[in-house]
Amino acid sequence: MLNVYVNNYVIVFVFLCIGVLLPVGALAMGRFLRPHVPDEAKQTTYESGNNPFHDSRVPFQVHYYMFALLFVIFDVETVFLYPWAVAYDKLGLFAFIEMFIFVLMLVLGLVYAWKKKVLRWM
Amino acid sequence: MSMHTLLRYEWGVMTPEFIIIGTALILSLVDLLMPDDKDRRPLAWIAFVGVAIAFVATIGLIPAETTSILHDTFRLDAFGKAFKLLLLAGGALSLLLAFDYRPKEGLKHRGEFSYLMLCALLGAMIVTSSGDLITLFVGLELLSISSYILVGLRKTSVQANEAALKYVINGGISTAMTLFGMSYIFGLTGTTNIKEIAVEAQKLTDGEYQYILALAFLLLFVGLAFKISTVPFHMWTPDVYQGAPTPVTAFLSVVSKTAGFAIVLRLLITIFAAAPARGKDTSSMLLSMQDYIAFLAGATMIVGNIVALKQRSMKRLLAYSSIAHAGYVLVGFAAMSWVMIDSIWFYLLAYLLMNFGAFAILQRMSDEADSDDISRFAGLYQRSPLLAVAMGVFLLSLAGIPGTAGFIAKWNIFLGALMTEPGHYVLAAVMIATTVISYVYYFGIFVQIFFRPAAETSSLRLPIGLTLIVVVCALGTLLFGVVPGLAYHFLGQFEHFGDFLQ
Repeated sequence: MLNVYVNNYVIVFVFLCIGVLLPVGALAMGRFLRPHVPDEAKQTTYESGNNPFHDSRVPFQVHYYMFALLFVIFDVETVFLYPWAVAYDKLGLFAFIEMFIFVLMLVLGLVYAWKKKVLRWM
Repeated sequence: MSMHTLLRYEWGVMTPEFIIIGTALILSLVDLLMPDDKDRRPLAWIAFVGVAIAFVATIGLIPAETTSILHDTFRLDAFGKAFKLLLLAGGALSLLLAFDYRPKEGLKHRGEFSYLMLCALLGAMIVTSSGDLITLFVGLELLSISSYILVGLRKTSVQANEAALKYVINGGISTAMTLFGMSYIFGLTGTTNIKEIAVEAQKLTDGEYQYILALAFLLLFVGLAFKISTVPFHMWTPDVYQGAPTPVTAFLSVVSKTAGFAIVLRLLITIFAAAPARGKDTSSMLLSMQDYIAFLAGATMIVGNIVALKQRSMKRLLAYSSIAHAGYVLVGFAAMSWVMIDSIWFYLLAYLLMNFGAFAILQRMSDEADSDDISRFAGLYQRSPLLAVAMGVFLLSLAGIPGTAGFIAKWNIFLGALMTEPGHYVLAAVMIATTVISYVYYFGIFVQIFFRPAAETSSLRLPIGLTLIVVVCALGTLLFGVVPGLAYHFLGQFEHFGDFLQ
């Protein structure tokens, strides 16, 4: 039985090899096949058609991270609320109470974030 | 599920948990609505009262029959009751420590201190009485994540930041290991209910399945070794204990460790005790794993006690001593005698009393100068003879000198290792040898307290919370050292915790 278990990992290993070899192979092939005529315009950084300016490594507000984190929390809440709303008739009261507690906890978290001035920019 | 089934559950068995979570919620709201300039130290008192009520409620639940609710995910049995009492006592004492915690640089998040500790305590309590791998994991994570934050609560301290980061990373690795072990168990048995797992595991007679089950055992044990800080997951202990605020250090070393042992005992005994280990022969996976556990117990005792010899920082010293004590408790587990759970419970009780006492005095000594060097204790006897004697009692108990609870606890573990057939003579010998080594560093502190001249001559006044802890712990240590029968009489009503599987 153990060999069956181990054999399952062979597939994982094969995929790992393909995952590494495919981009390496494709890029190497491209290197040999493409013509090599560099000029100054071609060597600039690609910025979706805009002229690149400034350094690419700029510090940005750590507040942005807080916002993103809060967003993720409530995004996940929606993900949980949606299937519950769809299957509400089948789940009944117990799920309702559970959901109520869940939302209550998240509201408490939001109040916490609000009181700790996470929601205020600067 | 209808209202009817919902009301039919005996929610009463969860009363202590409800009290704790209610107190935590109320405290967090109070903390948020309080004006910023108000002192938040009284919140720790409210939390303490909440924990005390939950303690009384747990005592009230002792006569209750073994009950399980919510599809057997939460079960209240003798094991859960006994360990919950330890956890609640530990939680209450660490809240008292938190009340009197006055670091030099001040503590900005005092409100969070109280209710995060309650959340961690709740996680520990859920862990001790869960009957399902998922509930168990949720409880474990509640305990872990709350303690990660607690460790890093002194945001401006470099040491605290280092400690928190180390704790999170090590904790993450150990959680991953535990989960990996659990996934093997789930894969082999097809259920997350611990009782059903035990039944299914008995049917695994194929040698190759048993190999995977043994792998799962080791993964689980190594993963959980993080919580009880034994080899191979002990390296975080000194750094985290040193960086964390003292009440949190005490909490980690007692409550978190007790919860860790509760999981180890419940999970490993229930699942592996009846699982066959050698093909179709009658054998026990747990017994066949005995040698590995015994090896880890021996390594833990040796590492903890030897490295403690070199420590100058009291917190690091107590951290290594806590590793060593976890090793002694593991000896009790490795021996697997029929008094195993009783002697482990008693050891953890004695450890709770002596460790909290030592940490209370350490907190008083280190807050005053923001240093926890061993020389802070120099001349304690001249500054405050009573405090010196109390610290002496705790140190004697930690070293395991007759007349203290620590001795009785160690003696019972020691006897447990010899009473089985065949006896664990090597393990018992290692235990004796390392105990003798531990005398060196415990008596090193003694020398500081009684024979070194005091650097400061100002007399010491102990705040009310710390006084309470020192008095309770010192009396408890002596009481259970002289009449251990009291605790054993209390344990007698649980009849050696045989109701794991009912």
